[in-house]
Amino acid sequence: MYTQFLGNYLLQRGIVTQDQLFEAMSRLSQTHIKLGTIAIKEGLMTAKEVDECLYVQSREDKRFGEIAIERGYLTEDQVNDLLSMQTPDYILLGQNLVEDGVFSYEDLERILFDYRNDTELYDLSLDVENQDAIAAIISKFFLVAEMPVEPTNVMYLELMFNSLIRFVGEDFSPLTPMVLDEYPITFGVSQAISSERDYVTHIDCDRETAIAFASRYANEEFAEFDEYVIAALEDFLNLHNGLFIVNVSNDTSQTISLAPPEITMEGVLSGPNKCVDFPVAYPFGTIHLIICF
Amino acid sequence: MNISGKKILVCDDSVLARKQLMDAVKEVSEGAVFIEGKNGSEAVDLYKSEKPDLVFMDIVMPEKDGNTALSEIKEFDNEAVIIIVSSVGTQDQLKKAIQLGAKDFIQKPFEKNQIQEIIELRLGGK
Repeated sequence: MYTQFLGNYLLQRGIVTQDQLFEAMSRLSQTHIKLGTIAIKEGLMTAKEVDECLYVQSREDKRFGEIAIERGYLTEDQVNDLLSMQTPDYILLGQNLVEDGVFSYEDLERILFDYRNDTELYDLSLDVENQDAIAAIISKFFLVAEMPVEPTNVMYLELMFNSLIRFVGEDFSPLTPMVLDEYPITFGVSQAISSERDYVTHIDCDRETAIAFASRYANEEFAEFDEYVIAALEDFLNLHNGLFIVNVSNDTSQTISLAPPEITMEGVLSGPNKCVDFPVAYPFGTIHLIICF
Repeated sequence: MNISGKKILVCDDSVLARKQLMDAVKEVSEGAVFIEGKNGSEAVDLYKSEKPDLVFMDIVMPEKDGNTALSEIKEFDNEAVIIIVSSVGTQDQLKKAIQLGAKDFIQKPFEKNQIQEIIELRLGGK
C-alpha cells in the first residue's frame, strides 16, 4: 500500500502529473529493481555516485555492482546483500519515474528523504507491510477533523484501500479527501452501516468509469452500462463493508449491521453531520468513496 | 460431474453474484437446472414451488434477509440443503445460520473449488 501512498504524496506536491504516475504504476509488475536504486534507498550510495556508475556502465561492458566496487562506493558484501534484498514496490515506482525522465536519481533521493520525514516513518522497508505504519499514514494524511482518528475509522480506510488493491487493482492513487455538507450523486451505490453511530457509505463515479471498474472487479469485459455493471458496484461496496463489519465485530463488542446496498442514479447525499469524499484515481477514471455520518 | 436434472436455487439480490455463482457451478458440473431469486421472500416461495435439491443464499437481502428465509424454508422442509454465501460472515451470523440449519457457509469472494466441493458433497452421492 506504500506505493499508493507515495503516489498520493507525489501528486499532492505537484512532483508528477496523474498521467505520469499511472504510466509508471502500470509497469510495476514488469519492472526489476536496479542495484543503484536500492543502494540509494539503503543510504549506501548517493544519487551522484549512482549517476556516475550508470554513466560508466553506458560506456563499459560491466555490471553496475562491479563498477561501484571498483570505485570504492560499495564492498562486495554490500553488493551481495543488496542483490538479495526484497524491494518494496514504492521504490520501483520511484525508479520507473526516473527512467521516464520525470525526475532524476538525485530528486528521488531527496523525495524519499522528505517522504520519510513527512510521514515520520523511518523504516519503510517492508517486505512485509507494517500495519502500524499504514495506520499512521492513514491517520495523518487521510483522516480529517470531521472524521476523527478513531480505530474504526482508521480500520475502515485501511480496509478500503486493501479492498481496492485486492478486488480492483493496485494501480490507483488516493487523492485528497474533501469534507462536504452534501454530495451530488453522479451514479452510485449506497449502503448504510448501523452501529453505535450510523453511517451511509457510497461509491460514486461516471458511467464509463463504472464499466471499467466493474470489468476489473468481476473479471469480465463489460462493454456497456448495464445491470451487471451496476451489480458489480453493489457487490464491491457490499463485500468491502461486509469485511469491515466482520473485523469490527471480531475486534470489539460492538453490534454492527449492514443494510442491503441501494442504487442511486441522482439526488444529493447528506448525513446528519458531514460527508467525507475519499477520491481514488485509477487510470480509467476516478472513483469517489463517500462516507456520510 | 454430471448432475442432470438437479435443481439449484440461487438467491442473491445481486444479479452479478447470481451469474458468477451459476457460472462457477457450470464450470465444475453439467446439467443443473437453475432457479433464481433476488430476495428472501422469493427464496421461500421458490423453494416451496420448485423443491430444489440445493440452495445457495446470501444473508443481506432486501425484503427478507437470508437467515429469516433460511428459517422459514427449514420449517417447511427440514431436509432442505441450504448453503449461505455471503461477504458478511460475523461469528454471530455464522453461528445463527448454522443453528438455523445451514449446511455450510461460503465467504465471498468464493473460489471455484469451494463450489466444486459443495456440489460433490451435496449432489454427488444422490
